[in-house]
Amino acid sequence: MAAFMEEAFVEARRARDAGEVPVGCVFVLGDKVIARGGNQVNVTRNATRHAEFICIDTTLAYCREKRLPARQLFSEISVVVTVEPCIMCSAALHTLGVKEIIYGCENDRFGGKTLVDVAAVVGTRIDIIGGVRAEEAMDLLKEFYKGENPAAPPVAKKKK
Amino acid sequence: MARAGIDQQTDMEISAPPAKRCKFMATEVDDNLEIKAVLTTEYKKDITLIKVHSCQLETKQQLQSVVQELSQKLPHFHHLKRVSDRNVLICPTAEVEHTLEQHLQGHAFSDSVVKALCRDVKVIEVPADRAKLRMQYEKMKKYWPCKFHPDKYAESLQNGSNFTSKQRIFHKQMAQLLRSLTKNVNAGQPVGICVDPRQPSIVAIAGSNDTCSSSHRHCSMLLVDYVARSQQGGATQHQVDFVQDDDASKTTLRGIPKAFHDYIRQDEAYKDVQCGAQMSVEYEQQQVEATADNLAKYGPYLCTGYDVYLLREPCLMCAMALVHSRVKRIFFLLPSDNGALATRFQLHDVKELNHHYEVFQFITDGT
Ligand SMILES: [Zn+2]
Ligand SMILES: [Zn+2]
Repeated sequence: MAAFMEEAFVEARRARDAGEVPVGCVFVLGDKVIARGGNQVNVTRNATRHAEFICIDTTLAYCREKRLPARQLFSEISVVVTVEPCIMCSAALHTLGVKEIIYGCENDRFGGKTLVDVAAVVGTRIDIIGGVRAEEAMDLLKEFYKGENPAAPPVAKKKK
Repeated sequence: MARAGIDQQTDMEISAPPAKRCKFMATEVDDNLEIKAVLTTEYKKDITLIKVHSCQLETKQQLQSVVQELSQKLPHFHHLKRVSDRNVLICPTAEVEHTLEQHLQGHAFSDSVVKALCRDVKVIEVPADRAKLRMQYEKMKKYWPCKFHPDKYAESLQNGSNFTSKQRIFHKQMAQLLRSLTKNVNAGQPVGICVDPRQPSIVAIAGSNDTCSSSHRHCSMLLVDYVARSQQGGATQHQVDFVQDDDASKTTLRGIPKAFHDYIRQDEAYKDVQCGAQMSVEYEQQQVEATADNLAKYGPYLCTGYDVYLLREPCLMCAMALVHSRVKRIFFLLPSDNGALATRFQLHDVKELNHHYEVFQFITDGT
């Protein structure tokens, strides 16, 4: 399953090139990627448009189109994402009941495992594997934050 | 608005409407609604104690040298007075691996101070944290003399005096509006309202929708996207009719679905309620005023400076979405089994997060 991480990286780089925080995600069903996406926070002016949510929406559309029961389909999905899902995304993925989450580097600011034990709050456990190509994922983030998030208010600049 | 409430109540008594209607009215014009801050653990009544080593010095003449070395070599207890009469706080017992004497020697205390500190040593309990509220301070000082800096705002949150009566009336009006819209427009499904508190004016309204197969489209998630719409953004494809702006308007109604807006404009009880969001502007063009907050300085950005009113306590996903969106305050009416602000968890108590909102709950008498 870790082989799909490269697909997630493709989305992360695409997000970076669009001026978004470089995080990419793919949803894998069997041996097929059924949803892929990167962060779209800045373009939508919506701070919740993380890569995982783009994939969730695509998957729901896929279910509607193919007339498949969403709950069952999600239970067979492996989430492959370059950065540990944040508390929000992790809560959504736990509630939807995905099969497993495989991530690259840890998210020490918002992590749904590192910062808050989302599984305990939501009350479901799923398999979570971290540290897959973590350094590359972290490098992408570092490189991005050296430049500035173009949509953030300029107050951040003063801190420097 | 309060007057309208009384009128309706009188009406109800005279005409004795059918039972179902009667129940609805009773909750609708509830003047016993209180607004209670959902405070984080540091404001709780119970205080935490820790075990510490303390000793009694032989003479007060030893105090100066002892306190000087302690503050340099074991700088603990900033929230407490280090000395009470001849009694001195040394360090938490949990820190001492072997004997206290060895511990002090390990921290390079002078022989005379080690000797002074190792006389008449006792283990006592003292408050573990700084007092935030006078009520906590009163309890804590019974254990050991404490430092205390009164915080007027924290006290007002605790005793409920933080809102002016005008603000209180507005918050209650929003609570009433949540109930009306949920029941009369959104078929009983929960509704959320986002308000710019400066006017105050409604920025966006969202109702979760049962027919949406997507179990993750809770009303908070829709609400932040409708706020994004008011800023010329927005992600989700919605099968919802939104209000159109006319060209002359200085504010935008793009974040408000037409059905909700029509209801508000037709109901006498809400005739004073303002709708519309400040237009977003490109940040570079903004005039920066040094004294203003971010919303005033840079114009709308996500939900910065905005308040959110929710029928139901948000789940963890929604609560975190509202953190990401930098909401200023959250008000909710009903607790949820999976609520992440009071019931199952307190997300606003996670210190490591980069943003913290205040949380308030509307409490009805008897619940
Ligand atoms: Zn996320
Ligand atoms: Zn929710």
